[in-house]
Amino acid sequence: MAATASEPKKVTLTTSDNADISVEREVAERSILIKNLLEDIGDNGDAIPIPNVNEAVMKKVLEWCEQHRKDPPASQDDDADSRKKSTDIDEWDQKFMQVDQEMLFEIILAANYLDIKALLDVGCKTVANMIKGKSPDEIRKTFNIQNDFTPEEEDQIRRENEWAEDR
Amino acid sequence: MTTQASFVALPTEILEAIFLHLDPSSLIAVSQTSNFVKRITLDTPLIWRHFCRNYFKSWAPHHNIAAKFAGPLSSVDWRALFIHRVQIAKRTIQLLNSVLHTQQGRIRRINEIADFGYDAKEVLLRQCACPDDAEDVLARRYYANAVLERIQREMAINVWKDLYNGKHVPIERALGAYDMFTRTGADVDFETISEDLEQLARGVREVCPEFGHLSTREQASALASYLRERGFRGVVDTSYSALRNSFIGVVLRSPTHDSLPLISVAIYCAVAKRLGLDARPCGFLFHVYCLIYAPKKHTLDGVYKPTSSDSLDYMYLDPFRSSNEVGQADLLRILREIGVPTSEHEGFLSDTNTREMVLRTARNIMNSVQTIRQTDAGVYGIHSTWLNAYPDMDNSFYSTIWAMLVLGPREEEENGGLHNISTRRRQYLPYLLEHFQTHYPWDVTLLEQHVIPLFYNQPEGQRLLTFVQSMHSMDSVRKPVNRRNPNRDRVNFKVGELFRHKRYLYEGVITGWDTSCDAGEEWIEHMGVDRLINGREQSFYHVLVCDKSVRYVAEENIIRPGGGPSAAMLKLAGRHFKRWDAGSNRFVSNVRDEYPDD
Repeated sequence: MAATASEPKKVTLTTSDNADISVEREVAERSILIKNLLEDIGDNGDAIPIPNVNEAVMKKVLEWCEQHRKDPPASQDDDADSRKKSTDIDEWDQKFMQVDQEMLFEIILAANYLDIKALLDVGCKTVANMIKGKSPDEIRKTFNIQNDFTPEEEDQIRRENEWAEDR
Repeated sequence: MTTQASFVALPTEILEAIFLHLDPSSLIAVSQTSNFVKRITLDTPLIWRHFCRNYFKSWAPHHNIAAKFAGPLSSVDWRALFIHRVQIAKRTIQLLNSVLHTQQGRIRRINEIADFGYDAKEVLLRQCACPDDAEDVLARRYYANAVLERIQREMAINVWKDLYNGKHVPIERALGAYDMFTRTGADVDFETISEDLEQLARGVREVCPEFGHLSTREQASALASYLRERGFRGVVDTSYSALRNSFIGVVLRSPTHDSLPLISVAIYCAVAKRLGLDARPCGFLFHVYCLIYAPKKHTLDGVYKPTSSDSLDYMYLDPFRSSNEVGQADLLRILREIGVPTSEHEGFLSDTNTREMVLRTARNIMNSVQTIRQTDAGVYGIHSTWLNAYPDMDNSFYSTIWAMLVLGPREEEENGGLHNISTRRRQYLPYLLEHFQTHYPWDVTLLEQHVIPLFYNQPEGQRLLTFVQSMHSMDSVRKPVNRRNPNRDRVNFKVGELFRHKRYLYEGVITGWDTSCDAGEEWIEHMGVDRLINGREQSFYHVLVCDKSVRYVAEENIIRPGGGPSAAMLKLAGRHFKRWDAGSNRFVSNVRDEYPDD
C-alpha cells in the first residue's frame, strides 16, 4: 500500500446510463454515500455503480465537487430549523446553478441521493429564490404547476391567509 | 428518470427544505398554487417552528417558549402560534398609529398594546428605529418607546411582587428588574442578564477545568480572580456614585464593568451559583461583602468533618476590592470603630436576603440621582443634564419608588402592625403620583393593579380610585378644541414654536395656549402674575421645557431664539410633535385635535 504522494487516487463511477467516469477519490468523497461505500467495501479498483444518476447529471455534480473539494465538511449540528433564512449563494455556485429547470431538479435529486448536503442546500436556495416575491400565478407559470382549486377553495384560501396581508 | 424532474414531483422532504428558505409571504404565495403544495406547507410544523424561531426573538413569558422549542415538534401548533404573533404585530401597529393620530383614547390604546407584553417588543423596537425622514418620526419613536417602557415596568413590578410574596427569585433577576424598569433596547432583558452570567461561568470552567475538584476556599478565590481579570474590579472613587454602577445589566455589558460593591457581590454570587459554589451577600454596614459557605460536613479546605451541627463553615470575600479572603476579625474591628453595639454585630456579619439587596439598591440609586440633582442645582438656571445620565434619571428615580412601595414595609417587621405599614407606604405616594402624572400617565393601569390594592380600606385607596376613574374618563373624551379667532386673536405664538424664557433663559417649546391666564387665583397670586407688565389679561402658554418640566408662561416672557432644537428637546418633543421642520423653524404639531389652527 505504498501510495505515491504525487499520484492522486482515482475511482470509477458507473452511472445509470452505463457510462464510466473516472474521478479523484477526494472529489468523489464529497458525496457521503460514495465515501461510506468506499470505506465499507474498501477500494478494490472496481467501478462503483450509481444507479440513480445519469452521466450528464453526474458530470455536473462532480464539477461542483471539484470546485468544493477543499471545503470543510458540513457540521453535524445544523438542524434544518436553525439554518439561517438567508438565501445568499456564492458567485461560483450561482453561475453553476444557471441551468434549465429540469437539470436543476436533477442536481437536487442527485445531491439528495448522493448525500452532498452543501450542494443540496445550494439547489434548494436556488429554487427558493425562484419563488420569492412572486404571486401564486407567477409561481405556477414558473414551475408549470396545475391549478386544481375549485372557485370555493380559492375563496377559502383567501380567507385563511388574510392574517398575512400587508405585513 | 427525466419525467420525474419537475417541481411537484420532488420528494416532500426536499420541498420542505426549499420552503425553509422562504419568507412567510413567499411561503403563503406558493401554498396557494395547488392542493398538493398547500397540503405540504400546512402539514409541515418544521417550517412554522422555523418562522417562530427566526422572526420573533422576544416572547411573553406565558408562552413558555424555551420549553416549546426544546419539546417535541408536534406538541405545538406552530402555524397557529406564528399567525397569533403576526396578528399581534399588526394590531400593535394599528394601535400605535391611533395613539399617534389622536389624544383621545391614548391611555386606553397604550395599555391595550401593553397587554401583549413582550410579544409586542420587537415590533415596538422596529418603530423606535423608524427612518429619520418618517413623517412623524419624533412621535413614533417617543410613543413606541413609551409603550415598551410601560411593558417592561410591569414585568419588573411583577418580579418584585413575586419576591415580596416569598417566591424564589434569583438575585440577578430581582436586581435586573431595575434595568428592565429604566432601559429599553434589544439587549435589555432578564434573559440577556442570565446569558451574560452563564458565559462568565463557562469562562471559569474553561480557564480552570479542575474547578469542580477544588476546595471551597480555592474555588472562591479562583472565581474572584477570574472576575477581576475580566475587568470586574468595582469602580474608582471619583465615579463611585455614577448611576450606571447600580444596574446589573449595564455592569455586565459595559466595557469597564464599573460597579458598586453590592452589584459586584451579586454578580459573584450569581456566577458562583452556576458553578455549584454557595455564595451569598452579607449585609455589612455601608459595604456589601460576600459570604462563602463550605458544603455540609466539610471544611473550607475540602476536608471531611463529621458533625451533627447544621451550621456550615464560611469565609468572607470582597470581590469589589480584591480576590483575597477577608478576615472576620477585620470586619469586627470596623464595626467596633464605627461604634456599632456588640449585640448588633451578628446582623451585619451574616447573610442577607435578596429583598434587602433590592431595597439597598433602591437607596443607592436614589443617592446617585440626588447627587446629579445637587450638582445640577449648583449651576445657575434650568438645564438638560438629564441627557448625560444613564440610565434615564427619572426612570431610575421612579423605579426606586416602586421598589420601595412594593417591597418596602413588611408586616412581620413592623411593630405598629398594618396601620404602620400604610403610613410607611403613604410617604412614597406623592412622589409616585407626581412622577407618573408628569412623565407616564399611561401607567394609570399599573396604579390600579399594583398600588390601589396596597391601600385597600384606607382613605388613600378610595381617593386613588376616584383619581384613576377620572383619568380614564378624561382619556375617553375628545380634547376641547381651541380655535384661533382672528378678530380677538392676541395669541402671537403657535404650538410647536421653540423659545427662550426672557428671564430664566431656558429652552422650551409651546404645546398649548390660553387667550388669558387660565390658572387658579392662588397660583396667579403666588407667581405674581399681576406684577407682569401685561398682567393676567395676556396670552399664556403651556410649554415643555428642556429639563422635562411642564410650565405655564406669559407671552411677554417668550422670545424667539432662532436656531434649531437641542438634543434634549428633540428627545422630549415626540410627546406632542411629529417632527422638526427646519423650513418653518418649528415642530410640526401632533395635537391638532386640540389646536386645529396651529
